[in-house]
Parts: sequence; structure tokens; C-alpha cells
Amino acid sequence: MKFYKKAILGMPFDWMFAIIVGAFILFLAIYFTVNFIQTSEIRQNTETAAIIKSYLDPFETGLASGKSSNVSFRKETRTIMSCNALRNPPFGEQTIRFSDKNLKESFGNEGEAVPIKDKYIFSEEIIQGKNWYVFSIPFFMPFKVSDIIIISSENYCFYNTPEEIEEEIKRLQLININMTNDKKCAGVSVCFYPTSQESNCSIKVNTNSKTVDKDNKKVYYEGNLVYGAIFSSPEIYECNVKRLMNKAAELSMVYNDKIILLERVGCGSTIKGDLTNLINNIKNFDSSAKLKSISALSENIDEQNEAVKPDCKVY
Amino acid sequence: MENQKNKMIKKSQIKIQEMAFMLVAVFIFFSLVLLFGFSVSYQNIIENANRINEERTLSAITNLANSPEFSCTGSRDNCVDADKVAAILNKQNYEKFWPYSSLEIIKINVVNKTEKELISCTFANYPNCDNFLIYKKNVENERTISSFVALCRKDLLNGAVYEKCEIAKFIAGTELEEVK
Repeated sequence: MKFYKKAILGMPFDWMFAIIVGAFILFLAIYFTVNFIQTSEIRQNTETAAIIKSYLDPFETGLASGKSSNVSFRKETRTIMSCNALRNPPFGEQTIRFSDKNLKESFGNEGEAVPIKDKYIFSEEIIQGKNWYVFSIPFFMPFKVSDIIIISSENYCFYNTPEEIEEEIKRLQLININMTNDKKCAGVSVCFYPTSQESNCSIKVNTNSKTVDKDNKKVYYEGNLVYGAIFSSPEIYECNVKRLMNKAAELSMVYNDKIILLERVGCGSTIKGDLTNLINNIKNFDSSAKLKSISALSENIDEQNEAVKPDCKVY
Repeated sequence: MENQKNKMIKKSQIKIQEMAFMLVAVFIFFSLVLLFGFSVSYQNIIENANRINEERTLSAITNLANSPEFSCTGSRDNCVDADKVAAILNKQNYEKFWPYSSLEIIKINVVNKTEKELISCTFANYPNCDNFLIYKKNVENERTISSFVALCRKDLLNGAVYEKCEIAKFIAGTELEEVK
């Protein structure tokens, strides 16, 4: 009686059916669980990036001349910063992606990129560590353009620091910067020189030509941008300087209209032409090398604005 | 014998059908549980996004008056330069800069005027107006947060330039995502 013979595996059909379908269900369950964990990780990291974005709001200095703070994370974190001056014209935008170490002690899936359009964050492209050192400082060209926010996670050794930078660092109480002459100082070495010099420093600042050599690239600075040039990658620096210049052009247009409005109360201003020149110069701005000419023009505007009676100042 | 064989075939078929139905039911049950889990999780994402956006608007609006686009000449805290605001009314670009869905400044010393009677400011009618609508994105669901500021402008008194200040409300809107 062939009919009563069991199947090849010696198992009735209903058992085989249950095992195959059970295995399929189990596979689906594991697949969805793994996916769910990954999605949750991405979601959590995106939320953290959004919270970081909100956290940076109080760093707008307002009337203060600078603010600083330290941020400590429970776990080692990695934040990927990027900048695009062409997206969201004319202001450009930065994005921030966050991830932290998971149970396997490796960095998990990064969250989605969170865009930041109203801030100028100068940092390395990857900020990694348990502690963040954040400070903000205003940038003028010649009026206040915006605050620049500097984020770093490393320690720095400043050699031969100029007096004004030393005072600023002390005032802001930046604990990750050691101003020293001790060559054993542990951290990224930053050397200030009045002339070009060969040295083993990671970052070389020429205070005379206002240039910073970093990662075999040279960037130019004016005013407080020196901090941005030291603490950020040359790519992020150039992008943010372009964004800042675009904002200076927008503000120049606002001030040009304000001059027209001030004429109704008899306040005349001679800076209208120079503000228009500033806007035109910024249109051709493609690298920090052009900062010098813009700075010269802005000094001229500032002198004229200071010369008018106090009630008629444009800014 | 043939009868017994048919009986066994029928019994086996019923068993397989029972198991198939059971497995399909279990599958559907877990799918529904997963679907429910995802919908709860999705709702949480939207709630968290709204909370973060609102918190951001609240923390940012206090600093907005001191930003270069609004701050008064001579560095005074919480003071908005009305001349600058009137100039900004022409600039559409700022809509892409600030993270708010709307931005408006309303003078609050406009007594005996309903909201509809307020005169909207333009570059042409300034300063004879009441509210500055800097921009308004057409969003479906918005929550506004306001802060009081001093709204100052240059004016003339007996031929001399002086600064005239009024109290105003700085209103910023946040777009809220709806849970559908």
C-alpha cells in the first residue's frame, strides 16, 4: 500500500507545510525587526541633529561680543557637516548629520541631513568626540553681518598668539585652547607668524598677509573670520565666507532702502554709492582671496557712516 | 478499503486547510500589529518634529529683534529699527532665510482699531501704517509665538531728528505637520 508511505523526509505533508510557512514568517519577522531597528536609529539621529540645530539658537550673540559653551555627550558622537553656497540662493545652506556609537561600539546609521539656513557654522567636516567646544563671535563688514559659530572637539595649542586673539580667548574662556610656548603641548598646533615661515605646525597663521595655511590649502581672512579659518576645514570656510558675503550684499540692499527712508527726516548719507559698489563686488566673489578688496571698501563705508551726525547714522 | 482511503484523504485535506487558514490568520494578525506599531511611531515622529520646531521658534524669536536685519542703531536690547523693517518688506529673499512660516510686526498702541482696520505697511505708505507683514508662507496649519519689542524710527520734532519708539508685537509662525 504505497499510499500509507510517509514522505521522503519521513514527515507528513502538514508538518512540512507548517515548517516552510513558519520559516517564511520567521524570516519576514526578523527582516522587519532589523529594518525597524535601523529606521529607529536613523530617526533618533535625525531628531538629535534637529535638537542640535535648536541648541545653536542661543549662540546668536545679539548685543554681546561673544558667547561660549561646552557640550558633553554620554556616548562618542560623530557629526558630519557640509555646506553648499549655491543651494537656497542667495543665502546658501549647511547640513548636519548625526550618529553615535551603538551597542556594538561602532557608529550606527547616520540620521537624515538637517538643513541650517540662518547660521554660519565653522567646523571640520567631521566633528567626532564626546565633548564639543562651541563659541560664537560677531562678524562685521562694515555693519554686523551675522554671528559665526565655531564648533570643535579637539584640543588646540596656540603658539606665539597675538595679544588681541589671546584676550578674546581668555574672555570667552575657551578651555580647549592652550596658549603656550611648550612644544610638548598635546593638541592641534596653531602657529602665528608675522611673515611666512616653514614650521611643523598643523595650522599656520600669517597675521600680516591675513592668511591661514591648513591641510596644504591657503585661505584668507578679515576680522573675526580668523577663528573660522583656524577651526574649520578650508572647504567649509570658503563656502561659509561666500554665504556671509551674500548676506552682506542683502543687508547692503536693506541699508540702501533705509537711506531713502531717512531722507524724509532730512538725513542724507554719502554711503549709498559705496554700498552699491559693495553689492557689485560681492556678485563676483568666488574665494576668500577677494576679502581684502571688500574689506577696504567696507572700511571706506564705515568712515563715511561715522562722519555723519549720530542721529543720521545708517547702522 | 477504498472508503477508508477516501476518508483519510479528506481528513488530510481538512488538516492542511485548517493549518493554511491558521497561518494566514497569524500572518494577518502580525501584519496588523506591525501596521499599528508603525502608525504610532509615525505619529510620534510628527509630534516630535512639531515640538522641536515650536521650541526652536520660541528660542529664536527672543534673539530675532537683536539680529542685524532688525536691530536698532546704537545697540539697544530688544529694539527693532522700523526703518529697516520697512526696507525689508521689499525683499522676498528673506523668506528663504528664516525658519518661520510667517513673520509680522504689529504696533500695539493702535487703540480702537480691529484687526481688519489695521493699515498694512508698504515702502510707500511708511510710517503711516500699523502692521508690517514681512512674509507669510501659505501653510495650512500654523502656530504663532509672539514677543514684545520696542519699535523705533527716526522722526522730526521742531526740525530736529529724534527717535520715536512704540511698543510692538513681534509674531513668528511655525508650520505644524498634521497627523493624517
